[in-house]
Amino acid sequence: MTNEERVGEIFGSLKAAGLAAGEVYLKNGRSRRFEVGSQGRVGGYSQEQGWAIRAGSSRASLFVAGTGLPSAGLGWPAPDGQSLSLPAAVPIPPWQPPTDLDSSLVAESEAIALLEGIERALVGELAGSRLVRGLLEEGSSETSIYNTLGVKVDYRSRAASLFVDAVGPWKGSASVSLALAERVHRRLKPVVVAKRLANRLLLSRKGMTPDRERGEILVGAAVSARVLASLQPLLLGGAGEQWAARLRDRHGRIGSKHLTVVDDGRLEGGVLEAPVDGEGLPTGRVCLIEEGRFRQSLTDWRKSRGQIQSATGWMRRESWRDLPRVAPSHLFIEPDTGVTVGDLLSSIARGFYLLEPLGVGRFDFEQDRFQLPVCGFALRQGAATAPLSRAWLEGSIGAFLHRVQAVARDLTFQPLGAMIGAPTLLVSGFGLRGED
Amino acid sequence: MPFTDLDTTSVARFLSQIADHQGDLADAFFERRETSEVPPADEAAGIRIWREEGFAIRLIREGGTWLASRDQIEPPLFAEALRQVARVMPAAPYSPPTLRISPFADSDVSPELVHFPRRVTRAIRRRLAGFPLRLQVRRHRRWVRVVGTQLAPDQETEEFYSYEAEMPWGRHGALLAELDDQAVERVASSLTLLFRAHNAPAVQTGSRPVVLGPSACAVLLHEAVAHALETDTLVLGGRIEAAIGVQIGSDLLHVLDNPAGAPGGVRRDTDDEGVRVVRRWLLRSGVVEQLLADLFAAHHSADLMAGAGRRSHRHLPPVPRSSHLELLAGESSFEELLTDVSDGLFFPEAARGALDPLSGEFCLRLPGGRRIQDGVLAAGVGPCSLRGRVSDLLSGVTGVGNERELTGAGWCAKGGIKLPVWATAPALRLAAVEVVG
Repeated sequence: MTNEERVGEIFGSLKAAGLAAGEVYLKNGRSRRFEVGSQGRVGGYSQEQGWAIRAGSSRASLFVAGTGLPSAGLGWPAPDGQSLSLPAAVPIPPWQPPTDLDSSLVAESEAIALLEGIERALVGELAGSRLVRGLLEEGSSETSIYNTLGVKVDYRSRAASLFVDAVGPWKGSASVSLALAERVHRRLKPVVVAKRLANRLLLSRKGMTPDRERGEILVGAAVSARVLASLQPLLLGGAGEQWAARLRDRHGRIGSKHLTVVDDGRLEGGVLEAPVDGEGLPTGRVCLIEEGRFRQSLTDWRKSRGQIQSATGWMRRESWRDLPRVAPSHLFIEPDTGVTVGDLLSSIARGFYLLEPLGVGRFDFEQDRFQLPVCGFALRQGAATAPLSRAWLEGSIGAFLHRVQAVARDLTFQPLGAMIGAPTLLVSGFGLRGED
Repeated sequence: MPFTDLDTTSVARFLSQIADHQGDLADAFFERRETSEVPPADEAAGIRIWREEGFAIRLIREGGTWLASRDQIEPPLFAEALRQVARVMPAAPYSPPTLRISPFADSDVSPELVHFPRRVTRAIRRRLAGFPLRLQVRRHRRWVRVVGTQLAPDQETEEFYSYEAEMPWGRHGALLAELDDQAVERVASSLTLLFRAHNAPAVQTGSRPVVLGPSACAVLLHEAVAHALETDTLVLGGRIEAAIGVQIGSDLLHVLDNPAGAPGGVRRDTDDEGVRVVRRWLLRSGVVEQLLADLFAAHHSADLMAGAGRRSHRHLPPVPRSSHLELLAGESSFEELLTDVSDGLFFPEAARGALDPLSGEFCLRLPGGRRIQDGVLAAGVGPCSLRGRVSDLLSGVTGVGNERELTGAGWCAKGGIKLPVWATAPALRLAAVEVVG
């Protein structure tokens, strides 16, 4: 039986049960997982096959999901709660599937070579340090979405993720960890990963704790991405406009003119690149903040008078187990291709270069305050003068956005729920303080 | 009971084809799960049901583990997974075993699940409180059968509940063994506490005596005792067995992991590796007596005893974890625990905890509590954290309550592996501990 025949039977069965609106989501995937750590070497091969059905009448709805393939004879539970709105089919702009979708998944020997390469490079950077955990996972999948309003789409995806945890050579060293994602494992570079781990270990050991200081701050890409990830209350959901109103200056801007924030579900080379979202609506590029001006937040189209206001979809669905929810895919601060990090560095007479976040921080939109633990270097005349650790980037969320003076070209994505990307930012007159 | 008719003899024979080296260990893990959810009233898809099943085959050989898993239970998939784990074709392959399992029963959502959110809202009103609340409640059911080359214990079943509440000032969730009147009152009390703590004055950072209620004590035990004594934590610091016999807490602490003594729905006779569980003394008079070990660790050490292997699902390997911790009751009533405290804090609940296994640094996040002034509970305080080194914290226990409560310690997420954990614990008094407001 083909998928279409199966889905046709399911829609017939739902209709007979009084559920006129229906959606069938099918997903097949395979993944390989390799881990080195406290459980020795662990290699895994998984094949997953799952489905999800949403259905509803004008008064109630249900969601049923399971493994294998769905069938019309499932026996639907009694629906309850709210009615269900599904999107009608809209034309999908042409999409060229990335060529790397067909490349083979990571083999055991490649995975071990990558993890051992990271450890070797880490020891090269910092003798005596060690990798306490390394986990590499790579998978590919095929997804199909059908609904009773004409949506009928298929697409493929793939992703590779890496998690590493390392400790320094000294007694009592706390561990530092790093999570990365790429579409293909070959793009993960052991030396780059090892350098980031070694930087964090060394800074946590030797870094000085600043007093309360202000100055020019070069916010590295990893720290900027963490800040952007925490701005999601502003960029997601119905409250976005309300928060934006609080941050607006007299020119109507919520941030500096250097600040443009975009979400793009079709970002070329992106880990989550796909032609449609989790409900079968076409993805695309959406500008959320343009040169400091708030344009829109990502909101559920059902909450805008129940009609699709835009042809761009951003209802993400991570697996067949999840219901679609409003979420970014590749959310990023637009880089300035003409500016290098070196240019920004050399422009700083006295300030700080913040390399890595050391936690998720606290962001309070109500109070317009944030605090983010960071490490990096103190700078004089563009050169590092001292390592810095146990420091907190702290201040007003609005002031931070308004004081972005320049943006570099080194856009880097981090897996922080979605793929969150940012380049290095130069922020002037901002506060940094030591740990309590 | 889906796996009652599983032909375990033929599965074991099939597995024996790949366990052909000295010291090899091979097993098959069959799993079925069903989760039913009543979401917040304003969300569509008003009733939600997830039903899934599958299996995993595992081979442990010379310090390495190979795992292959599938989302359907069918003989050709089983044969294919076996070949993947073996990484070569067995010399004389048997035909795949017959995998007879019963179909899913028609699943409907029970009335107690549907009515639970309304009952909680009423119980909150009875406490003279009212606030915006979106409540989601779930029933979790799981059936597990493990077959090894030599042993095939009976099928195990689990059934419990969980809830997640979303309020303007944050989220809160917990596990529940039942959805009875007591659960309604407990959830209402927790959410009312969070509501009142939201506007309560912040705690001034500093060191002072703290009394933890049974629920907060359960989270502390899970983070500071169980995680600290898991073999996959200890191996990071060097030789695992070196921890045995070390005094890490006050001599008032007698802690054990007792999966067979867990509440009815989650009581276990065997773990997720098919090994019989034991009453495992973790701390006796504050001294480490046994460690939490799975088959992998026990396979490599004569001093370790398997039986604490847990799997979050078939696609991930087992890990050593606690199931149901017990702290033996002390001699002090709750009032006696407060008596000597002139200026301290009482926390009935803990939101979450974290332990850095290498440095021993520990943090327990508390959603709110009350001051203790001259031995009496006084005004409320807002959210804060307890911080310190595990050994200092556990050595600082100066009193253990005489009344124990069964409580869900919560969803453990160590290493990205999500597992429900339970505890039966009394209240606990800690001497001077750092509280960060």
